[in-house]
Amino acid sequence: MIDFLQMIISGIAVGSSYALMALGMVLIYKASEVPNFVQGEMALLPVFIAYMIIHSYGQSVFAAFFGALAFAMLLGCLLEFIVVRRAKNPNILGLIIITIGLEMVLLGFVSWKFGADQRVMPFPISSYSSVMFGGVYISILDLLTLVAALVIMTGLFFFFRFSKLGVAMKATQQNETAARLMGIRTNRVKMITWGISATVGTVAGLLLAPVFMEPYMMWDPMLKGFAAAVIGGMTSLPGAVFGAYIVGIVEHLFGGYVSMEYKAVVAFAVIVLVLCVKPSGLFARHYVKKV
Amino acid sequence: MKNTLLGLLLCAALVTGFAGAANAEVGVTDTEIHIGQWSPQTGPAAPWGAVARGTDAYFKWINANGGIHGRKLIHHYFDDAYNPAKTIAGVKQLQEQTGMFAWASGVGTACGLAVKDYLMENRIPWVGPSSGSRHWVDPPQKYLFNVYPLYLGDAQLLTEYAITEMGKKKIAVVYQEDDYGKQGLEGARYMLKKHDMELAEAVPVAITDTDMRPHAMRLRQAEADTVLLFVTPGHVARVLGTAKAMKYEPQWMSTTTCGDFPLMIAITKGLYEGVITASFGMMDPTGNVGEVENINNPKHELMAKYKKEVFEQFAAEDERWGYTFTAGIGFVEPLVEAIRRAGRDLTREKVVAELEKMENFQGIMGRINYGPFDPQDPHCRIGQQEIFLQQCTADGASKILTEWETTKFIPKSE
Repeated sequence: MIDFLQMIISGIAVGSSYALMALGMVLIYKASEVPNFVQGEMALLPVFIAYMIIHSYGQSVFAAFFGALAFAMLLGCLLEFIVVRRAKNPNILGLIIITIGLEMVLLGFVSWKFGADQRVMPFPISSYSSVMFGGVYISILDLLTLVAALVIMTGLFFFFRFSKLGVAMKATQQNETAARLMGIRTNRVKMITWGISATVGTVAGLLLAPVFMEPYMMWDPMLKGFAAAVIGGMTSLPGAVFGAYIVGIVEHLFGGYVSMEYKAVVAFAVIVLVLCVKPSGLFARHYVKKV
Repeated sequence: MKNTLLGLLLCAALVTGFAGAANAEVGVTDTEIHIGQWSPQTGPAAPWGAVARGTDAYFKWINANGGIHGRKLIHHYFDDAYNPAKTIAGVKQLQEQTGMFAWASGVGTACGLAVKDYLMENRIPWVGPSSGSRHWVDPPQKYLFNVYPLYLGDAQLLTEYAITEMGKKKIAVVYQEDDYGKQGLEGARYMLKKHDMELAEAVPVAITDTDMRPHAMRLRQAEADTVLLFVTPGHVARVLGTAKAMKYEPQWMSTTTCGDFPLMIAITKGLYEGVITASFGMMDPTGNVGEVENINNPKHELMAKYKKEVFEQFAAEDERWGYTFTAGIGFVEPLVEAIRRAGRDLTREKVVAELEKMENFQGIMGRINYGPFDPQDPHCRIGQQEIFLQQCTADGASKILTEWETTKFIPKSE
């Protein structure tokens, strides 16, 4: 029983970082209707910037993290403004290719600028500290990630429900032409959405970096975040978080009771299963666009 | 008559010219010897790219000191990103367009396997693949000379030490799901069987895994008192961190691949203290058991010389002096020595003959021995079979635990 509980807790712990990546992906999908494969690298570059601020400029961890989040906001906005917006009459496939291209450019830049050496980010909390409940443990860093994921999800939920910008974002996603006719500057809304998405992803990156940092560190969380977002329905914020915890828990139960060899791919088997049962994802509200 | 004479002279000149060309060795000119190498400078295995940069600095140092018999070593290394498809393309391009005399080192078992047949069919010497895989010697190939001690041997010595010197009873292995990990697992099982013991747990790790919680949990469930890690340095850091958070702290052991203590102590935030690894050189354990040495301040005479003359003068500014960089020198020392011994009249066959005569050759690694080619005997191409154990101290130095120990080769069928 202890082992089972440990697997559930560990699954929730790892699911929290997937949840943050999934939230970032859902935000962009809601605004631009594109699965964003540069999500991981939009977090990677700010994380390395934070590392540089600490090591090259001798600033505190808090200053570096604040700088990284601000940089992420700017980076997301710039990517939308300089690259995505310039695409002429883009279809979904074209936009996906653009995000994959951006992913390669940013990954190449980080590898070139910072090198391939492994490193760890300084952090106020030791990544090895943990709390035990009976025989079940959870690390303090995992707890912090869990809290961050839930707070950001709740914050985004209220942002979309009650803020003017959030409502404008929803309107842009549902009917861009009508939104523009209502006076919403849809391009600006999309740009800010990319910025917020990069910032949310960067929170995940900053919470992963104290354990391990290298240029490929965001690849696995991005893929699992994508899996979670698909399971949740791509447009639902609670769905993305729920999907992330499903992925994390299933991975751990599968690794513990079935096979460690196939643990890494079980998330994608879950996607197939969910999409067979509910093609639009678990939490998506199906609506039909009028033509 | 005059025209006939001219024609004859022309024919003679052409015949002589072609004959000369036919005798000249590919990749060798009056002033140059061209040597190829692949290495990941980008991609997930990029930290191992320092191997090729170590070789490059070493060749530059040799050239600055007059080269070998009046010829400079021209080093052609390319980035294959640890992708075998790129390794094949790059090797063929360099071999067929530029012409390499020989190939040196080359990171990665899969990348090496992708080009092994091509190099062997074309009778091109390849010395010191940068991985300890049994594939290089079983079956042996005439033109392929291994240097890196096999992972099978690392596992044997670590397991033996845990059982006999430390009295450990429950040994587990965390292994990468490829040749590197699987041969480590095989070596550990071989030694446990000799002691009538069973493996406590075998935990596979996919190269893409970043979450080590399930792996650490399996080890804790098995109550293993010793864990051998045949994974990348990054995975080692994650496993140690996760286990520490679970308050599970067995005796960790690992391979030569994770023997760069200054790096490991940094990326594990000090958790690597006390970890025991195999080592293939960079310090001399003979008569020094119990001594503490730091690779950044080497006592080994040749290492100190390389640090001062090769690293400080020819390495890039942001290069790090470490195990991987120096391994790039160690893996090619036998090739350089064989070229030197072959003399001015350099051919591939002469280099192979000189390598086969090599007995107890020692540079910065252990002793290297080859023998006349025997397709039934892997020992004729195995190179280095001796390793020693070292333990990481709090500041990333190495406490030497054993003398050089010769490990047993385990054939595929055994």
